[in-house]
Amino acid sequence: MCLGIPMQVVEIEGFNARCEAKGVYREVSLFMLQGEDVQVGDHVMVHVGYAIQTMTPQEARSSWELFDELLEAEDLTAVPGGEHV
Amino acid sequence: MNVCGGHERAITLAGLRSVLPPGIELIPGPGCPVCICPEEEIYQAMQLALHEQITLLAFGDMLRVPVNLPLREIRTLEQAKAAGADIRPIASPTEAVRIAAGLPGRPVVFFAAGFETTIAPVAAMLAEGVPDNLALLLSGRLTWPAVAMLLNSGEAGFDALIAPGHVATVMGPEEWEFLVQEHRLPAAIAGFTPDSLLAAIYSTLRQRLEGRIFLDNCYPEVVRAGGNPAARAVLDRTLDVVDANWRGIGTILASGFALKASLAAHDAGRLYPSYNDPERSRLGQMPAGCDCARVVLGRIYPDGCKLYGATCTPRTPVGPCMVSDEGACRIWWAGGVIASGQRETV
Ligand code: SF4
Repeated sequence: MCLGIPMQVVEIEGFNARCEAKGVYREVSLFMLQGEDVQVGDHVMVHVGYAIQTMTPQEARSSWELFDELLEAEDLTAVPGGEHV
Repeated sequence: MNVCGGHERAITLAGLRSVLPPGIELIPGPGCPVCICPEEEIYQAMQLALHEQITLLAFGDMLRVPVNLPLREIRTLEQAKAAGADIRPIASPTEAVRIAAGLPGRPVVFFAAGFETTIAPVAAMLAEGVPDNLALLLSGRLTWPAVAMLLNSGEAGFDALIAPGHVATVMGPEEWEFLVQEHRLPAAIAGFTPDSLLAAIYSTLRQRLEGRIFLDNCYPEVVRAGGNPAARAVLDRTLDVVDANWRGIGTILASGFALKASLAAHDAGRLYPSYNDPERSRLGQMPAGCDCARVVLGRIYPDGCKLYGATCTPRTPVGPCMVSDEGACRIWWAGGVIASGQRETV
């Protein structure tokens, strides 16, 4: 459950941001990044719908690549009927 | 030892155990909030949903965790839902707010289990303000006190710790300094990719070999000194740290979160009667034959349980460790591990 996903901010309205990762869009709360100057285009680490930290684009990209490999490995052994939260 | 289901998942799916030299064991420890959620809290959530006119929300993998009741009775939230209770899985606290706002006048109870990384967003939700009809049944836990408890038990069974990256992102790496200061234990904070985990394993080995013990940070991308100050501030503002029960382990001092008295109007524990029947036998334990308690403590590997892969699989889980995506048994089974060939760790 503590797995986070790096996402890129595409729109900000108050504490709510629309974020994107790999073509998937999510509403993300920036409430816990008050005091950080988060801008459209920035990358953030997202956990259960909340951004928990800012990160550089390079850091976000390297996580994505490794996540992709992990997910591929997982698909091969996926549990039938298993869902991922 | 690692204390994070996310770490165990990455280790198992990347096959790290098979490429490490003999003599290095990677032990999954108490890293699954769903697995250690006391069954009385799941029971309470189930009974609330069955007997009160409420809508119950919970993170998805909580729904299939069984409690100790005879097979013919309702044993999981999923079965309670099938029996007509209004129970909905959610993936974010923001969904809880949206659902409650869409059901004005209907009490909505959010059963929130999780470690610091998950409870901080719950605290943020509370701090931002929630609809009057939304209450919380909180089963939040802090990770470091469980590790401290293991180390103080005198039979820890591990000689280095891989500390959880996203817990440290939120709370700050400083929480883990006690490993070095009090126990002279090599320690490194890791992220969730094989390279970060390998760096952490390498760091702890080198610390041990060179006798230079320190808390290393192998996840500097997001783990910064002091953690996330806004997240820590919302936790301080909304929740108290209290003694808490861990399923299969028992009470650990100052290891749980509870709503502050000022939020009593949103505390489901205060709003509703307790449905826990003191007469119920084997309370707080694992189902018969299930060795989750020892799996969670890192005393045995999942395949050390007789039921692993036999009667217990993700389709027919006996214990919580086979239900949750963060449970070691489920992760090993999903990763195709039939038998590790490794012995008991203690
Ligand atoms: S294999 Fe099943 S019964 Fe055995 S410890 Fe794991 S979850 Fe419990």
